[in-house]
Amino acid sequence: MLYIELFIQGLIQGSTYAIIAVGLTLVYGLLRVLHVAHAGLFTLGAYLGVILTNQTGSLTAGIFLAAIGSGVMGMAIYRLVYEPILNRPPHVALIASIGLYIGMEELFRLVFGPFGLSFVSAPLQSVVVFFDIHLRACQIITMITNIILLGILAWISQRTRIGIGWRATVDDPEISACFGIDPVRVRYLVFFMGSALAAVAGVLVALLSNLVEPTMGAVPSYKSLAIIVLGGLGNVTGTLIASLALGIIEAFGTIYVGNLLDRDAIAFAFLIVVLMIKPTGLFASR
Amino acid sequence: MKNKLLLILMMGVCMYFSSSWAGETIKIGFNAPLTGFAASDGKSSSFGAKLAVKQINENGGINGKKLELVIYDDQANASQSIPIANKLIGQDKVAVGISGSYSGPTRSAAGIFQEAGIPYISAYAIHPDITKAGNYVFRTSFLGEVQGRAGAKLIGEILGKKKVVMITLKNDFGKSLAAGFKEKAKTFGITIVNEYQYSIKDRQFGAIVAKVKSDNPDAIYASGYYFTAGPLVSQLRASGITVPVIGQEGYDGQKFIEIAGKAAEGVIITTSLDRDSTAQETKDFIRNFEELAGYKADMVAASAHTAVQVAALAMEKAKSIDPEKIRAALAGISLKASTGTIEFNSLGEVRKSVQNQVVKNGQWHHHSVIDDPELLAPPEK
Repeated sequence: MLYIELFIQGLIQGSTYAIIAVGLTLVYGLLRVLHVAHAGLFTLGAYLGVILTNQTGSLTAGIFLAAIGSGVMGMAIYRLVYEPILNRPPHVALIASIGLYIGMEELFRLVFGPFGLSFVSAPLQSVVVFFDIHLRACQIITMITNIILLGILAWISQRTRIGIGWRATVDDPEISACFGIDPVRVRYLVFFMGSALAAVAGVLVALLSNLVEPTMGAVPSYKSLAIIVLGGLGNVTGTLIASLALGIIEAFGTIYVGNLLDRDAIAFAFLIVVLMIKPTGLFASR
Repeated sequence: MKNKLLLILMMGVCMYFSSSWAGETIKIGFNAPLTGFAASDGKSSSFGAKLAVKQINENGGINGKKLELVIYDDQANASQSIPIANKLIGQDKVAVGISGSYSGPTRSAAGIFQEAGIPYISAYAIHPDITKAGNYVFRTSFLGEVQGRAGAKLIGEILGKKKVVMITLKNDFGKSLAAGFKEKAKTFGITIVNEYQYSIKDRQFGAIVAKVKSDNPDAIYASGYYFTAGPLVSQLRASGITVPVIGQEGYDGQKFIEIAGKAAEGVIITTSLDRDSTAQETKDFIRNFEELAGYKADMVAASAHTAVQVAALAMEKAKSIDPEKIRAALAGISLKASTGTIEFNSLGEVRKSVQNQVVKNGQWHHHSVIDDPELLAPPEK
């Protein structure tokens, strides 16, 4: 029973990782930029979600507006930060991104205060019990949201014109441009979707811990990098599987080796082992 | 030529002001985390210190001079506090230094103050090595070990719970609490079923909670700060665990109750600030702090307030800002402050009683007091 419960807890944790990391892997696939500031958009989404839910009294409105807010902010980051330096070596964009993340963290602290924010009355906290496993509604919603959002993402990329254009741009930006696909539009779309997903993850994490802090993006900022490397950089399915695997390994690791290894250390130990066996990650895209 | 003249003039003006200021006020140095992950505690401790300075100045200052608080941000980072300590001593020429910060930065600053022979007071950092820096370093709050021992008495004797699971924050705060708790667990008949450790960045405790549930303890001794304890306690309660959760001063503050909501009810902590105290000092502090800061007082604020008052009284008793005289006055001080009566032992560690607080109807309230001088005796060396 304990093992099943640990497995489920791992899936919940892994689901939050997946929703964050997918946006990051999309950006990497398209621009070859390690977008560290993605974790800042995750935090922004969480803040917007909590504030707007407290204001409107509706969690749905909170999530929806947070996703749009972070999505637009993501597009702005692409336009103002990455676009001007796209033809520089990749580390330039990486450094810009790290700087941007640190700046965002301090900005959140200045604007929203150092104590962090909580829901006035946290929604989705009712407990569902089956076979003596207690799960809060928000935990179940986290897993369902993960499945739905990633399903939508798969549908967009496989079935819609814009999605096909996006995959074509990832494969070969010049040829796809010759076929009338606007690469800039595709980039805006990817930044919007990835950032909106990060915002949804932010609100879900806020529901799970009822706390939004300026520094809450710190762990996702580097752990999601480990996840996308594990999943084979730029590979969406790989990222999803790597996220869930990491969540489960952390859940068991926390209990059985937690007194020796930190939860974050477990993630990186796992990464090192995988890279030693398979240097391209679990699911290399090419 | 004109530029040169202007430069000389400006230098003259600067020198005039710096020398005249040095004559009119007594400077107290203060390092606190104003940015970074511990910024909330830095905010509270600075407000506490500012309140004390304001009150002392309104009552005429010390030896006819006003106090001036010089605050620097150490980001709760040991490498930041070293240049800050040097700056406070060398540039600002403070009479006394106070740490409104965590153990790491306080430890590294303590050595520098000791070397310079300037008194330094740790307001709420709990690591044992801080006062071991030397005879110029004092601490107005409990050592982690001392508070851990009080936790053992609270669970084993006052609550009568014997089968305990420990959830320990993996930093020097959590570890020294755990060490003190384990040291006295046997004395109070406690069996420690299991101990789980977590990192300060963790907010999701699903795995630990699941395991604790299968351990089926009588009580849980969980160390942490409000930002880890809030999520931890609400996740423990959501999983159907109903046994008492015992925390420490890291939980202390309204924010913990805000995060954990209904799950916070019944949580008991060992701390320094009694909200239902009948002592005038404590009642005044709680009221004045809320007026100044605009939010409810917490342990960190009360501790910083106490530390500044202790420093001020020592300077008054010494009738001078000669560091050696202040040090001697500190060593023999006895002051009734918001966190209790402050007296130091030979190592500069405080001797006072532990206040246990419980959450009732969304507020911290008095639960019990542990006043056992033998149990709470800090080390002398």
